[in-house]
Amino acid sequence: MMLRGLLLICGTKGPGIRLLSSFSSEPIVPPNLILPPGLKDGPVKFQRPPVDLSRPVQRVCKVPVPPHLSARTVWLESLSEQEDEPTGLVQLHPDVFDVPPRIDVLHQVVTWQRNFKRISYAKTKTRAEVRGGGRKPWPQKGTGRARQGSIRSPLWRGGGVAHGPRGPTSYYYMLPMKLRVLGLKTALTTKLTQNDLHIIDSTEIPSPDPQYLLDLINRQHWGESVLIVDANEDMSENILSATIDSKKINLIPAIGINVYSMLKHDTVLLTIGAVDFLEEKLLWQDVRYSALYPFTLPYSDFP
Amino acid sequence: MAAPILRRTTLGALNAVVRLQRPCSGSATSTSSQYPGIVESHEEYHFVERLIPPTQVPRPPKHTGPAPSGWIPPKDTLPDLPYVVRRSRMHNIPVYTDITHGNRHMTIIRKIEGDLWALEAEVREFLTNLTGRTPATQVNEINKSIRIKGYFDKELQTWLAEKGF
Repeated sequence: MMLRGLLLICGTKGPGIRLLSSFSSEPIVPPNLILPPGLKDGPVKFQRPPVDLSRPVQRVCKVPVPPHLSARTVWLESLSEQEDEPTGLVQLHPDVFDVPPRIDVLHQVVTWQRNFKRISYAKTKTRAEVRGGGRKPWPQKGTGRARQGSIRSPLWRGGGVAHGPRGPTSYYYMLPMKLRVLGLKTALTTKLTQNDLHIIDSTEIPSPDPQYLLDLINRQHWGESVLIVDANEDMSENILSATIDSKKINLIPAIGINVYSMLKHDTVLLTIGAVDFLEEKLLWQDVRYSALYPFTLPYSDFP
Repeated sequence: MAAPILRRTTLGALNAVVRLQRPCSGSATSTSSQYPGIVESHEEYHFVERLIPPTQVPRPPKHTGPAPSGWIPPKDTLPDLPYVVRRSRMHNIPVYTDITHGNRHMTIIRKIEGDLWALEAEVREFLTNLTGRTPATQVNEINKSIRIKGYFDKELQTWLAEKGF
C-alpha cells in the first residue's frame, strides 16, 4: 500500500522505487511474493549454533595437516535423531575443505561437465545434397537474366545452405585431472563456507516414510534440494525408499560426486565414510607423480 | 624411436602381470594346468611386484644441511612470517622461470599462502639490494602467485630456503 501511494505521488515508476530503495535500509519483501516454506535464507536467515570446541571429536584427519594450517572443525549431524542439537565434532582437512575460492575453476569444470558429453545433431543440406538442380536453368547468355548454374544454389529459395552446421558434432574435451580435482576441492570449500555442506554420521533413518526426511530437512533449514553422499552404493533400505520418488533429494555414492551436482543442490550432506573417501582420493592428487601409464593399470600404492 | 618401443614392452609386461595376478588370486590348482609340463611358480612373483611402480612421491629422508644433490630441506619450524611458501609435490621450492615473446623473461613464485603483498614487498627489497634497481613485479591474487621481471629463480630459491620454507 505504501508503495502504491508513493507511486501515485511520484507519478512515474522509476523515481518512486529509487526513492523507496534509497531511504529504506532493510531489504523489502513485496507483499504479493509467495515464498516456499523451506526456502533457504529466506526473509529470516537461519542462525546455526556456533561450533563448541569442547565437545568430543568423532573424526580426525588421517592425512597429517600441514603445520601452518589447522583442521576445520564442524558439527557432526545426524539423520536419525529427533533432537536438533548436534553432539559430536568432525575435523576436516584444510587442503580439501579450506582452499582458496577459485570461482574461475568452478566455472571451467561446470562448463566442461555440461559440454563434454554433448553431441549437436544440427545438420543442413548443401547444394549438392538438395534434390535436383543438376541442369542449368537457362542459357548463360541472351536471356537478359542473371547467370545461374543451378536452382539449388544458396542464393535461391529452396536451395542449399552455405556454411551450415554439418552433421553430428562432438563437443568432447577433457580438462586436466588436476583442474578437475581443484574444482571438487573448491566446490566442497565454498559449500562448507556458505553453510551448505553438513557432515552426517550415516544415512540410517528410522522410517522409510518420505515425509520423515522432508520434515527433517525443513526443521534443519536445508533448503529445497539436498544431495546425500555416502561412501558406497550399499545404502540402507529406508533411505532408498524414502528418496526413490523424490526429485529434490538425491543419493549419490562418493565416487560419483561432482561439481555440477554439488552446485545444483541447495545442501550437500556427506557421511563420515564419504569424507574419508574424498580426503584420501583428493589428497593423493597432491602427492602423486604424473601418470607413467593409465591409472587403470597396476600401481603399487594406488589409493 | 626407442621410447615408444620401450613403452610398449613395459605395457606388455604390465598386462602380463595383470594376467598373472588372476590365477594367483584364485585357487591354485596346479594339477589341472592347461600347459602340461610347465609348473606355475608363485614364489618368484615378488620379483614382479618389485617392478610395479608407485604413484606417490616419497617423503625425503632427514638431512642436516643441504643434501649432496644441492637440495635444501625445509626447516622443522616455519618462520614467523605473514606468508608461507609451500614446497611443490617434488619437494622443491616453487620458483619457476617463464618466457614469452622470445625475450620477455619472468620469474614466478607459486604456492604462496597468506599475505602475498608482504612477500612481494620483501622480494622487491631483496632484489633491489641484489641488483641495484627495483624490478617490476605483479601479484596475482587469484592463483596466489608473484611474477617478477627478469630471471631470478636461483637467487629466490636460495633466499626462500634460507628463510626456512
